[in-house]
Amino acid sequence: MKRILALVLLLGLAPLVIKDQGLLYFMTLIMIWCVFAIGYDLVFGVTGLLSFGHAAFLGVGSYVFAFIVIKNPALFPLAVIAAGLAGGAVALVVAALALRLSGIYFSLMTLAIAELLFFAASSPLRALTGGEDGLTGVPRPRLFGLDFVDDARFYLLVLVFFALALYVSLRLRNSPFGQALKGVKMNEVRTDQVGFNVKRLKLAAFAVSGVYSGVAGALLGSLMQFVNSQGLHWSTSGDVVIMTLLGGIGTLFGPVLGVVVFEVLKEALSSRTVHWYGILGLIFIVATIYMPNGIHGVLASARARLIKGKKP
Amino acid sequence: MSVVLIGLSIGMLLFLLAAGLTLVFGLLGVVNFAHGSLYMLGAYVAFQLVAWTGNFWLALVIAPIVVGLVGGVLEYFTLRPLYGRDPAYQLLLTFGCILLIEEFIRMVWGVNFKSISPPEAFAGTTELFGSTVTDYRMFIIGFGALLSVALFYVIERTRIGIVVRAASVNSAMVSCLGIDVGKVRTWVFVVGTMLAAISGVVAGPLLPLKLGMSFSIIIDCFMVVVIGGLGNIRGAILGAMLIGMTRAVGQQFAADWIFLLTYALLIVTLIFRPEGLFNVKGRQA
Repeated sequence: MKRILALVLLLGLAPLVIKDQGLLYFMTLIMIWCVFAIGYDLVFGVTGLLSFGHAAFLGVGSYVFAFIVIKNPALFPLAVIAAGLAGGAVALVVAALALRLSGIYFSLMTLAIAELLFFAASSPLRALTGGEDGLTGVPRPRLFGLDFVDDARFYLLVLVFFALALYVSLRLRNSPFGQALKGVKMNEVRTDQVGFNVKRLKLAAFAVSGVYSGVAGALLGSLMQFVNSQGLHWSTSGDVVIMTLLGGIGTLFGPVLGVVVFEVLKEALSSRTVHWYGILGLIFIVATIYMPNGIHGVLASARARLIKGKKP
Repeated sequence: MSVVLIGLSIGMLLFLLAAGLTLVFGLLGVVNFAHGSLYMLGAYVAFQLVAWTGNFWLALVIAPIVVGLVGGVLEYFTLRPLYGRDPAYQLLLTFGCILLIEEFIRMVWGVNFKSISPPEAFAGTTELFGSTVTDYRMFIIGFGALLSVALFYVIERTRIGIVVRAASVNSAMVSCLGIDVGKVRTWVFVVGTMLAAISGVVAGPLLPLKLGMSFSIIIDCFMVVVIGGLGNIRGAILGAMLIGMTRAVGQQFAADWIFLLTYALLIVTLIFRPEGLFNVKGRQA
C-alpha cells in the first residue's frame, strides 16, 4: 500500500518537471498498458490460466467506448464504464466456453475466439468498425469544465485509473477471493476438495480481468483518439503475455515492471534499429529459460541477498 | 473437379505440416507455435536457393536440411531446459522463437513479396475430367502422397517408429530400456521442422512469400491437428483433407467469410470433440 502511494505521488508530480509532451504521452501509454497487464495477471499470474485471447476484451472495450463517445463526447464516464462492462461480459463468455477445456486446449480456445472477433471486425463488420482503417475522431474527454486534449491533463486522468487499478488489484489479491484464486493455481483438486467452486472462481477472475482490459481499451482509444481492429489482433494478447512474464507473474508490481521494461526497450531499440522485434524475441527466450520469475523475481532475490549480506 | 484437386493439394500440404506438429506434440508434449515460422523459413530459403542456382529440385533437398538444422539448434538450446516445467513456458518460448525467425526473415529478405516459379517440368496445365488443372498441383498431390506413405511406413513398420511411438506413450519407460530419449526428442523435432520446411518449399510456387504467411498457415495447421486429435498422425491426414476441401470450396463461394468460418469450425470442434473427431479413445496420462 505504501509503495502504491509513493509511486502514484511520484508519478503525480512528474508533469511539474517533465514539460516534454511526447514523453508524457509515452508515460500515459505505459500506464494504460499497466492497467491491462495488471488485469491480465489476475488470470495468468494469480489463477494460473494462460489466456491467449485478452486482445478480445481490450478490443471490444475500445470499440464500445468509441461508439459512445463519437456520438456524444460528454458521455466519457459512462463510456468508460460501458467499455469495462463490455470487456467483462466478453471475458465471461470466452471463459465459459474455454473453461470446458483444460491445458493447451484452453489456450487455443481463447486464441481462436479472439481471432474470430478480429476477423469479424476486419472484414464482415467493416461498415461498423472501420476495419483496419478504424474509427477516427475518438475525442478526449471534457470533465469538470476541463479539456483533456492537453497531454499533461490526460496523463493525470490516466494516473487516477492506474492508481485505482493497482489498489483494486492489491485488495483483491489479499482478499479471501484472491487467496482462493491462488489456491486454484497451486492445487486445483485440493481447492475443489476444500469446498470452493473452482469453475466459478475462474469465471470471476476472468470477469474482473475483462473489466480491466475493457477500461484499458477505452483509455487507449481516448489517448490515441483512434480505434481500429489492431486492438483485437493476436499480437496484442502476445504482447501482454510477454510483458507480464518478463516482469514477473503473480506479483503486484511485476506486470508494471514488465510493461515499463518492454515499452522502454521497444522505444529505445526501435529508434536505433528496425530489428527491435527480433531482439525482443531473443530477450524473451532468454528470460523464459533463465528468469522464470521475471525481473521482479530477480530483484527480490537480489534484495534478499543484500539484506542477508551474503549469498544464500 | 478442379475444386476437388485444389482441395486435395491444399490438404496434402497441410498434412505434411500438421504431421510435423503432431509428431512433436506426441513425443515432446510441446505445441510448437513456431512451426508456421519454420515453414515460412523453408519457403524463403528455397527462394534464395532458386535465385542462386535456378534449380527447384536442389532447393527441395537443401532447404529442409538447413531448416532442420535450425530446428535442432532450437530444440537443443531452448526447449531442452524447459521439459520439466509448466507447459505454458514452452508455449511462450516457441512464441519468442516466432519473433526471432520473423525478424531474421525481415532482415535478410525484407518485407516485399517474393515468389518462386514452379519447376519447368510442372509449369504447364493439363486437361483432366473436363477441367484444366496446373501440373504443379498434380505434383503436390503425388509428392505429398509419396511422402505420407514413407512417413507412415517409418512410424508404423520400422524400429525407429516403434521407439518414437513408445516414447510418446511413456518416455520414462523407454529411457529405462536404455534408449536416450533426449536424443530421440531432438531428432523428432528435427524431422518435424524438416517436414515444415518441405511443405514451405512445395507451397512456395503456389503463393506469394510474405511475412504473414506463417500465422495464417499455423492456424489451419492447429485446426488439422485438433480435428485429428493432438498426437494422432492418422487423424491428421483426415483432418488435413477436410480442411483442404473446406478451404478450396470456401474460396470459390465465400472468400470474405473464409477465415471467420475456419475459426468457427475450430471453436465448435474444441467445444464438442476436444479429443479430435477421429480419436477413438483419449490416452490417459
